Amino acid sequence: MTPLAAGTPIEHAGTANTAARAPQLVFDHVNKAFGRSDGSSALALADVSLSIDDHKFVAVIGPSGCGKTTLLRIANGLIAPDSGTVSVKGRPPVPGPDTGFVFQGFRLIPWATVLGNVEFALETLDLSASERRDRANTYLELVGLTRWATSYPGQLSGGMKQRVALARALAGEPQMLLMDEPFASLDAQTRELMQIELLHIWNRRKPTVLFVTHSVDEALLLADTVVLMSTGRILEVIDVPLARPRQLDAARSDQDFITLRNHLWNRIRDLVLTDPASAFFGRELNQ
Amino acid sequence: MASASRTNQEYSALTIAATRIGFLILLLALWWLASINVARNIIPSPLATYHAAGRLFSEGRLQQGLLDSVTVYLSGYGIAILIAIPLGVAMGAFNLFGRTLEIYVYALSATPRVAFIPLIIVLLGLGIEAKVFIVMLGAVMPILINTYAGVRQADPELIEMARSVGAGRLRIFSRIVIPGAIPYVIVGLRLGATIGLINTVVAELYTAVSGLGGLLAIYGNTFRMAEYFVIVLCLAAIGVVVTESLRIIENRLGRWRD
Ligand SMILES: Nc1ncnc2c1ncn2[C@@H]1O[C@H](COP(=O)(O)OP(=O)(O)O)[C@@H](O)[C@H]1O
Ligand SMILES: [Mg+2]
Repeated sequence: MTPLAAGTPIEHAGTANTAARAPQLVFDHVNKAFGRSDGSSALALADVSLSIDDHKFVAVIGPSGCGKTTLLRIANGLIAPDSGTVSVKGRPPVPGPDTGFVFQGFRLIPWATVLGNVEFALETLDLSASERRDRANTYLELVGLTRWATSYPGQLSGGMKQRVALARALAGEPQMLLMDEPFASLDAQTRELMQIELLHIWNRRKPTVLFVTHSVDEALLLADTVVLMSTGRILEVIDVPLARPRQLDAARSDQDFITLRNHLWNRIRDLVLTDPASAFFGRELNQ
Repeated sequence: MASASRTNQEYSALTIAATRIGFLILLLALWWLASINVARNIIPSPLATYHAAGRLFSEGRLQQGLLDSVTVYLSGYGIAILIAIPLGVAMGAFNLFGRTLEIYVYALSATPRVAFIPLIIVLLGLGIEAKVFIVMLGAVMPILINTYAGVRQADPELIEMARSVGAGRLRIFSRIVIPGAIPYVIVGLRLGATIGLINTVVAELYTAVSGLGGLLAIYGNTFRMAEYFVIVLCLAAIGVVVTESLRIIENRLGRWRD
C-alpha cells in the first residue's frame, strides 16, 4: 500500500487577489458540526478555508460523509457555520436566484409541471408573469425540454428530471452554481451527454461552479480546480492543467493528466481504506 | 395506492361498467334466493322492495326522509370541514400550537362520541342543531388529524429547495407544504364522510326521530322489512355518491400522478 501522500498545504485557489474584485466565494476557517440523536455531534466541516474566483469551475471530491453537501449548503446560506466566516462577493451568502443549487436527487415539485418547476425559482425576481414564463421557456429550450414543458416530473426519465433541475438552477441567471453529485444517479451514457451539455452552458455565462462528484474522471473533465476533502477537511486543492475544450479520450494519453488522475485515485483509495466508516476499512487492496 | 392498480392491466371503463352490472345481477339473484329460502319473510324479495320503494315515494316519505337526512349530514360534514381543515393547518404550521393541542385532539378522537349524545341533547335539545352537532363531532376528528399529519410530514428536501430559490415562509407554506398535505386531507375527508353518515343515522335514532334514520327505526321495529330495505339501500346510495364525489375531486387534484 502506498503511504498517504503528504497533503500539499491548503493553497487558496487563485490567490490572485490583486484583481480589484472580491473572489466569488470565500470560506475562512469554517467549522460545522451536527448534533446526533445520541447527544454526540458529527463534525461535518473542520477548519475549512477556501477561496474561489469568479467564473471558476471547481470540483469537490471525497468519500461519502466528508462534508461536501454541507459545504454547498453553507455556501448557499441555507445553514450557517458554527464558527468562521463565509462570504459571497464579500457578503454573507443569502439563498435566492443569485445562486443556483442543483440538489442530489433533483428535488422537483411533483405536482407542478416542468415549466412550473422552473418558474417557481423565478418568483423572487422582479419579473412579470409573462416575462417569467418566457425566461423559464428559454432555459427549458437550453436543456432541450421544450416539448415536455407541460409534463409532470413523474412522467420524465432520470436524465430529463436532472435537466429540469439544471434549468431551474440556471433560470435565475446565477453568479454561482452549486451542484451536488448532479449526475450520480444517471446511466453512463446520459451522464456523458449531461457533462458536455453542462460545459456548453457554463461557457455561455461562466457562473462560478462548485461541483460535488465522486468521479475523478468527471472532476478532471469539468473543473479548473479540484478540491479533495476527507472527514470535514480540505486535504488538497489542485489546479487541472488541461486546455479546454477537453476530451477525456485524448487526455488519457497526456502525461500530466495520467499523473494527476493516478494521484487522485490513490489518495481517494487510501482515504476510503483508512476510513473506519467505510466498507473497505482495513482491506489490503493491492493491484 | 393509485400506482398499485397500475401494475395490473388497465381495463376500459365499458368493461368495468359491464362487470359491475353483472355483479349487481348476481347480488340480486342471491338476494332473491335468500328471500325465498329464509323463513317468516325476514328478507323481502327484490320485487317487494321495489314496490315498497314506489309506495314510500308516492307517499312522499322517502323524499322527506332523504331531504332531512341529507340536510343534517351535509350541514354537519360541511361545518366539520370548515373547522378541521383550518385548525389542522394551523396546528401543523405553528409547532407549539400543534404540539399543545394534539394530545387533546387524540384523546377526544379516542373517546366514543356517542358518549356525548346525552350531553348534547341537554345543551342543544332534540332538534336539527343537536343532530348537526353530532354529525360534526364524528366527522371533524379524522379530517383534523389527517390535515395536521399531512402538514407535518411536508418534505424537508423540497422545503430546502424552495428556500434555496429564495422563497419566504408564506410561499413555502402555500406552494410546498399545503399541496403536499392534500392527499392526507382527502383521506381525512373520506373517513369523515363515512363517520358523518353513521352519525347522521345515530343522531336521528337518539334525538327526535326523523329522516332516514327515523324511518329505519319505524320500519325495523314494526318488521316492515321491504320498507326497511328501501331505507338501507338509500343510505348506501348516499354513501356511494359522497365517496365517489371525493374520488373525482382526488383524481382532479392528483392528475400529476399519471
Ligand atoms: N442535517 C444533518 N444532521 C445530522 N448530521 C448531518 C446532517 N447533515 C450532515 N450530517 C453529517 O455531517 C457529515 C457530513 O455530511 P455531508 O455534508 O452530507 O457529507 P457528503 O455530502 O460529503 O456525503 C456526515 O457525517 C453526516 O452524517
Ligand atoms: Mg452529499
